[in-house]
Formats: sequence, C-alpha cells, structure tokens
Amino acid sequence: MKVTLNWLREHVDFAWSPEELSERLTLLGIEVEGVQKLSGEFEGVVVAQVLSRDKHPNADKLSVCRVADGQGERQIVCGAQNFKAGDKVPLILPGSVLPPKSGETQPFAIKVGKIRNVESHGMMCSAAELGIDPVATGHVAEDGLLILRPDAVVGQPLAAYLGRAAGDVVYDLEITPNRPDLNSIVGIAREIAALTGNPLRVPDADLPAVAVDAKAPVVVRLEAADLCPRYTARVLRGVRVGPSPDWLRSSLEKVGLRSINNVVDVTNFVMLETGQPLHAFDLDLLAKLDGVPTLVVRRAAAGEKFVTLDGVERTLAADSLLIADPGKGIALAGIMGGRNTEIQPTTKDVLLESAWFQPTNIRRTGKSLGLRTDASYRFERGADIGIAEYAGRRAAALILATAGGSVDGDVVDAYPAPVAPRAVALRNHKVGELLGIALPVAEIEGHLRHLGLQPSARTPAATDEDGTVVDAPVSWTIPSWRVDLKREVDLIEEVARLHGVDKIPSTPPRGAKGSHPYDAVHDVLMEVRRCLAAMGLDEAQGQTLVGDALARAASPDVVALANPLSSDMNVLRPSLLPGLIDTLRHNASRRNGDVQMFEIGRVFVQSGGQTREGWRVAVALTGRRDAPFWSGADRDAKCDVHDAKGIVEELAERLGIRGVAWSRRAEPTEFWVESATIALGGKQELGQLGQLSPALARRNDLRDPVILAELDLGLLLARRNASRSFKPLPGFPSSRRDVAMIVAESVTHDAVLAAVKGAKAQNLETVELFDVFRGKHVADGHKSLAYAFTYRAADRTLKDDEVQAAHARVLEALKTGVGATLRE
Amino acid sequence: MSLLAQVDSVKAEALGALASAADLPALEQAKGAYLGAEGRFTALMKQLGSLPREERPAAGKTVNAAKAEIEAALGARRSELELRAAVPREPADFTLPGRRRPSGRLHPLTQVTDDIVRAFRRLGFAVADGPEIEDERHCFDALNTPVDHPARDAQDTFFLDQPSRPLLRTHTSSVQIRVMEKQQPPIRIVIPGRVFRRDNADATHNPTFHQIEGLYVDKGVTVGDLKGTVEAVFRELLGDDVKLRFRPHYFSYTEPSLEIDFTNALVRKLGKEWLEIAGCGMVHPKVFENVGYDPEVWSGWAFGFGIERIAMLRYGITDIRLFYENDSRFLAQF
Repeated sequence: MKVTLNWLREHVDFAWSPEELSERLTLLGIEVEGVQKLSGEFEGVVVAQVLSRDKHPNADKLSVCRVADGQGERQIVCGAQNFKAGDKVPLILPGSVLPPKSGETQPFAIKVGKIRNVESHGMMCSAAELGIDPVATGHVAEDGLLILRPDAVVGQPLAAYLGRAAGDVVYDLEITPNRPDLNSIVGIAREIAALTGNPLRVPDADLPAVAVDAKAPVVVRLEAADLCPRYTARVLRGVRVGPSPDWLRSSLEKVGLRSINNVVDVTNFVMLETGQPLHAFDLDLLAKLDGVPTLVVRRAAAGEKFVTLDGVERTLAADSLLIADPGKGIALAGIMGGRNTEIQPTTKDVLLESAWFQPTNIRRTGKSLGLRTDASYRFERGADIGIAEYAGRRAAALILATAGGSVDGDVVDAYPAPVAPRAVALRNHKVGELLGIALPVAEIEGHLRHLGLQPSARTPAATDEDGTVVDAPVSWTIPSWRVDLKREVDLIEEVARLHGVDKIPSTPPRGAKGSHPYDAVHDVLMEVRRCLAAMGLDEAQGQTLVGDALARAASPDVVALANPLSSDMNVLRPSLLPGLIDTLRHNASRRNGDVQMFEIGRVFVQSGGQTREGWRVAVALTGRRDAPFWSGADRDAKCDVHDAKGIVEELAERLGIRGVAWSRRAEPTEFWVESATIALGGKQELGQLGQLSPALARRNDLRDPVILAELDLGLLLARRNASRSFKPLPGFPSSRRDVAMIVAESVTHDAVLAAVKGAKAQNLETVELFDVFRGKHVADGHKSLAYAFTYRAADRTLKDDEVQAAHARVLEALKTGVGATLRE
Repeated sequence: MSLLAQVDSVKAEALGALASAADLPALEQAKGAYLGAEGRFTALMKQLGSLPREERPAAGKTVNAAKAEIEAALGARRSELELRAAVPREPADFTLPGRRRPSGRLHPLTQVTDDIVRAFRRLGFAVADGPEIEDERHCFDALNTPVDHPARDAQDTFFLDQPSRPLLRTHTSSVQIRVMEKQQPPIRIVIPGRVFRRDNADATHNPTFHQIEGLYVDKGVTVGDLKGTVEAVFRELLGDDVKLRFRPHYFSYTEPSLEIDFTNALVRKLGKEWLEIAGCGMVHPKVFENVGYDPEVWSGWAFGFGIERIAMLRYGITDIRLFYENDSRFLAQF
C-alpha cells in the first residue's frame, strides 16, 4: 500500500526525516518496499524579507542586501531596482534550480558565488524567472523582483504561499496479511502515534443535523447476514457530480489512483484514509418497492449474469454475494459495483454504501471471477466492522464539501448482531518471560493503550507503583480493527514491537553448542589420522613413559620423573620415535617384520628450565614396502627414506602446507645413519626424517632398514590452509620437452629447480623429474637426471617457436646454473 | 575372358586369401596382393579406361561393388584377427590374491574416543583439552581434594624431578578447572585425554591410560539433566538395550556424587548383573568458588570414565597392555 509523508502528517505529529520514517516503520514490522520523492513546484524557493539594501561597492547598478529567510540572515547581491528594505520577495537558495525557460535545455542552478568580489548566498527572483504570471497570482506586474503580499510568512515555501503543490514522499509499504488495519493512512498513523505517544488525529465526520424522518429514505434487507453481517446506507440528494478539487485529485494520484469524479473520488479517498471500502450508487437508477428504494443483500442465483463497472458480463456462482434492488443485481458485494447504477455526470441523488463482508466469501468470489480490486483486497483480509457507519459518515461529509447536496434522513445501519469486542488476558510477567527483559508494568500497559486497547478487568490505579511485575492477568479489550490480536502472546508481540526488538539485549545461546579452542583441533587431528591411515599406516599409541637410554639418543632434553616405577619408564617421551622403535622391536620379536605405523601424541622437552608439551606426528617404516604379492621384480623392495618423504609430502599437501624445505645432515649422528632436517618457510624447524643408525636397529633386533620421520604437529596445524579455490581446467594443449643431462653428484634436485626458475621461461607449467641414473656412460661422482618440461598458455595454443625460445632459456640456465652437460 | 568375368574370379580369389590369412601380417600381405598399387584387383580397375565408352558405366559399377565387398571382408577379418591377438597367451587365474593397496587402521582407543566424542557433540558439547603436566592446584586443590586424600599420595601420582613438583595429571578433571578459569558459563565440554597413575602394568592396569569426561555448567542444571545426558551418551555408545543404575558415591569435587553401573546382554553373558562404568555428580559449590563462579547462580554436572574400559568391553579385550604394544596383528583387527 502507498502512503505519503504529508498525508500521514495530517493525522499524527512526528519529527522524523523521510529516511527516519522509513527506518521506524520497518522496525515496527511494516516493511518499506520503495520510497519515491515527489518534487513540488518552486523547490528551494522561500518567502524572504529584505532587511537592508546597500549599494554594491564595485558596481553602480547592483545592491548588496541582508535578507531574512526564516532560518537566519543571508547576504544577497541583486541587480533589480524595484524593492526596498522591508519588502517580501521570493528567494531561491543555493543548491536549487530555477525552472528552465522556453528555449533553455539546462535548468539554471543557484550556487554561492561572488559578484564583483562580493559574496551572494542565493538569488531573489522575478516573476519571469519563476515562470509565474504576477497578475493571475494577485501581484503587481513590474520590472524587477516579484514583490509578495505583506502578509506572506517569512520562511514559508513559495509553493505554500501560492497554494501550489509542495514536495512529498511516497512510501510503498508491504502490509502483512495479519494486519488489514494497516491498509489505511489512519492505520499507519495509529502505529506512529503509538510509537511516539503523540495523539492520533482521526478524520472529522461531522454532518449537519437532520430531522429524523419518520420514513427512511432507503430500506436495506439482509438476506445473507452470514456473508454480510453489517450494511450501512446513506442517501445524499442534490449532488453535483464533477471534477474533483486539486487536493483530492492529487491525494489519489500520488498513491497511484486515477481521479474519476468528485463522488467516486471521495469514496476512494475515504477507503485509503480509513481502510473501509465504500460504494456510491445513483439512487435514481434503483428500483423501488412500495415507493421506497430498496436494497437486498442476497446470494446470487447460480448462473446469474451481472455486468460490472468495467463493462464485463460475469456469470455468478450460487455463493457469490450480490447487492440488489428488488429487480436486479446492482453490485458484486465488496468487489465491484454494477454498470447499471454507476455514478454519472447527471447523477443527482447518491446512495452511499459502507458495509462489512465475510472475507473468505469475497476471496472465493474474486478468485473464481479472476477479479481483484482495492475493495476486495481489503475485505478479503478483514475490514473493520466497527467503522462501517463512521466511514460512511466521513464520506458523506466530504461529498457535501466537494459536490454539494444534502443528507436525506439518518443512516440506515443494518447490523442485526453487533460483534462484541474481544477481550484477551495478559499476565504482565509473561512479557518478561518471553522477551527476556524486565519491563515495568507501566510501560507494558502504556504500549497497549497507545494501540487502542483498553484494560477492562483491572483499573490502571491497581498497577504497581514501583513497576514490579504482578501475576494477576489483565483483561484487555481489543479494538475492532485489530483482527490479529487473539491471545496473550499476540499482546506480548505488540509490546515487543513498540518497545523495539532492537532494544532487547542478546543473551548467549542456551542449550546450544559449547565452545573451546581445542574443538577444531580435535577435527584436524582426526583428519591427519585418517589421511595417514589412508596411506596404509596403522595407528600406534605408545607409552608416555619411556626409558631414558633410548630417549636421550632421540633428544637430549628429557624430562625425568622423581618417582619412576622402573628404569625403562623413568622419563617422559621427548619424541614419539623411541616409543615407535619399541613398537617395531615388539613386532619383530613376534615375527611381524613389515611394519608401517604412525603415532600422534604429546611429547615433553626441557628447554631453558621450562617443561614444554607439544603435539607430534611420527612415522615408522620397516620391512617390505608393498603388501605381499606373487609377481613383479620389485615385490620385495624394502622401505627407504623416499617412502617416508612421500608420506610427509602427501600429508603436507593435504593440509595445504607449502614451503617445506629439506636439508641433509652432512654426517651421521648417534641416532641417524642418514637424515635430513625439515624446515617450514626456510626457518621454522618442522621435524626430521631419516634412517635409524644400524647400531640402534641391531640393539632392537631390527634387521631391515628402519625409516623414521617426526613432525611438529602444532606447527603443521598452525600453518594449515584449508581453503581451496578452483583453477579453470586448461583449455589449450601443452607442449612437452624432455631433457636428460649429466650433473655432479652434489647438484640437488632443488638446485636444478632453482636454476630453471631463474630462467624465467615463459609459459613453463610444470617441471617433472622422471629418471635418476648412475653407472654406464656416467662418470664417477656424477649422475644423469631426466626432466620433462611442460609448456602451456592459458589463452591459446603455443606455437612451436615460442616453446622453443622459452625452452632454450631453460637449457641455457641448466648449463650455466648447475653445470649440466645435456645428453642429446 | 571379358573384364567382368575377370572381376568375378579375382574377387573370389581375394576373398579366399583374406579368409585364410592366419594373422595380421599375413592379412596385410594379402591386402597388398589384391588392393595394393601393384595388386591384381587394382590392375583390373586400370583396364576400365580401355573399354568402349558405352560399356564403361555398367563395368565401373560392377568393379566398385566388388571392391567394396573385398574391403568389407578385409575390415571384418582384421577385427577378428586383432581380437585374437589381444587375448593373453596365458589365462588369468582370478582366484589368485589381488595386488592389495592396504589402508591403515586407526588405533582402537582412537576409534572409541571418537565415538564417545561424537555422542557428546551431538548433544552440543565442544571438545576441550589441557596439559598433561599439571600442578597440584589444578589437579587437586581446586577440585576440592583434601591434602590427606589418598589420591594425592605420592604412591599413586607421578611427580617430575623438578623443584616445583609438577605432576602428571591423574584425571582429566584438571581440564575442568582450566576451562572454567578462562570461560564464563554456560560451559558444555567433553574432555578426552591421557592420564597417569603410578600403577605397575598388569592385565587391568597401565601407568598411562585414557579418560573422557563431560562438564556442563549453566543456570538451573539438575541431577535429572545429568542422568538424561549420561543415558543418551551410553545408549549411543553401548546400544539401546543398555540399562543404567546410579548409586550414591563419594568424589571430593561433586556433591551429590554418583557411580554409574550398566547392564546389557554382554554383561549378563559375563555372568554379572551390573558393571561399574563411570562416576559422576553435581559440581561441588566449592569447585565453583575456586574458579570464581557464584554457586548460587550456576549449577552443573560432570561425569567421566575410562576409555580403555569401554574399548575392552566393546571388543572383548582382556589385557589392557595390548593397547600399548601396537602389535600389527592386534591393530589390524579394528
């Protein structure tokens, strides 16, 4: 539904800007779907009074004036001569534009500027500049400024002074189906009144007193009171149908209704204003019964034909409700009037209907006929049965004011079974229990009163003075327009709306998920476990307490127990490796020679007088690499360091960790025969990997090489990167170039990659090592490496010479960077 | 012989040669003999040009039809021979063991722990954790364990060889204190972890073992909530037919304290009526005071049990030491 700012202001005061009104309505539960600003005439032009007029210091024909604009004083430089201090004139303020004159395409924008070195803050206007005919508007035609009447109010918009349309703001509101009362200006204004506490100004509906005639001007027969429990009719005589006055037409047009004539426009206006749909009939076209115009509210006969206002002949069903005269249908009740009794320019006497129709019946009829009108929309949702008489009276008063005529007799109000107001009980403590805030009883009851609810069972005096909540329920009488308020919780919702849902403090989730930083770690640890198990490793759980001999070989910084049970359990494990070696020994003694295991657990080290615990993950491999199989040259291959390295690489990739660097220890240690330290980002030590010293292996009855790796799991988790982003699949073919070369034994794979990287070869996609060879045709102290280089561009197929040029750079870099001899 | 008559006889010879080719090289040879540049059929096609003009269309049609027939026969024979060549010389014995890509197994304690954690998480609990090296405050004092309590006996607790006498936590309850010191209620956590008691290893003892416990602190938490949660977790863990019994007991950090016995078909098979499974109770007000919670505002419960015990019951394991030996034949069973 559409409402306008100015129309609302006629019914309630509020000091909000147009934007604030939007915000307030939204927070009340009335969603603002659109806001449209209507610019009025003479935007930015106000009535101003000249306070003083002095000669411009640098120009003979200009004057410098001090002018009051209703807000303050301004300095204006002016070229006109026909005015003096005290005159009231139109003043256009900076930032506004003058209406374009004929022949001009750009409107003239007013800015603060200097005229001959004197600042001017606006411009006083002539009639021509404003496009006004001075005489027609009651002023003197003269050269220079338009001199306004002395009674003009300083600061008033010129449009208001001239009686022209001023600017307005149109709001398009989404009204939820439970609140039919909001399909009206008064309904929205009532919400604003309740929120601000300012009074609601209900439209006047005063009619001149009429002598109650013994004979009613019209008779209403309710033959279907179940579908129409209330029907009011008024008769107006001597009405002059014609165009509507400007205010009426503009009110309708701003909210999207077309003006038809003064009588019909009033019925639409009152519908928009009060939410009550009305209909006006030409009384003289109604058939009479016993000389009296008679209205029958009845069900249609099945198949009955009826021509609605839009000229369409409609076939009615038996449950459609018709307004009829003794001979014919004259209106499809609550939906659309009939062509046969339409108000016409010649209409003199008007029958004004204001009724209440049963919503489901209106909905069903409208749906079956495919006909939906502003009236049926409101009746479908539930109009206010309590205001039927009032709305008719309001419309009658407006018709008298706009179309003349007089009222004939009193209203006929067919309302055989008046609906008793509903009462809903509210226990005030329930408000706090549901909303989670303690509201004083005075506030609760204040909100409900503002919405038009009346406490009936308990007087306000019984309210607790200190505002504490009391248990006694209060029975509230619900106004007829609030069809949605049915039970206690509905009233609590009203209190919440008016108090402001945004003012209810949030409380932590109850009964919801607990929280602890470790919760996410647990998931990652499980992910690491599953990843390693998927690579074929069984999970071990070792003892935390180990013997110090093996422990010290793995790490010198062991934490000792003060009261150990035995010498093989006298320190805390400084590393998972001693426990895993023990596990391998146990398995070897049971003739399980092929063991591939991992463990995740905590280790304890002494550093700088501090005892620290940290998560580690360790891998132990010994015996055959593959599951037993009955064929294949490599089937009995033993695990070597590259197996462990592959596991670490796979795990790192799974965790999204980059920048893992490996550096070989130059010499064997007490623990390792050959090993590497693993670093992250070139700095932080991530762990180590290698082959156990044969002396230690032998001591633990392990015959096959024992490959071990251990990583700092805390560091892995800290560097984990779980985010993945899609890279488009290559759309163009690649070119591959293989290179075999001989390099010195000391040249590492990393060194080769670094040299290739240094070549900055264009479109080089991947570098893959596919062979390492020593022996025949390769000199001692050297090795042969074979790499595949793949070139690919994202946007095209590479030409052979492009690949050739890029690859030439790679070859050159290999020769100079790592001293490679290329094998042809 | 007319050209057309020759076409028929050469075609018949070609078809015969293709059909009798025993393998792909022989087939290619036959193809060359008839359809190759110097082939016999090719030679016939070359003669078409020497025919009188009016005879050429009919002769051309006949020759082309014959050529198509030979080529179709060639294609069919080639497919046949290719398929024959692709069949392996020796038949595969599909009863031989396959080449396995073994996946590893998670340790049974890990599996049981994760099952318990999952049961708790379903109820909104978050997993929490704390250090294994503890001080006396978090392990005992804050938990309202008096100095003369047997649990504090050096005979039962491992101490580190350091002046400040740090110890290895004897239960996961120390994490309750650490979490409550840091977080305000509501608290809803489940704490799995390693704990240590100074027991010599035997079939039912290991100096290292695992516990798991739940802690719930909120307003208005009751014994009913405790029982309801315990029942929900154990039903998920041990099956819907599990029955629980709560017996009053004593723990210094809960009041009232209860011990939980359970029974199901397995217990009855063991010839017992009830098996003790866990301890629990309402958090002692003194514990709340120790962490700065107002016991008038907050209430809560805690319950805990041994993971090895659950795993032994679930899998029928009778010696706790098996868990820590990591025999690969043991691990492969879970």
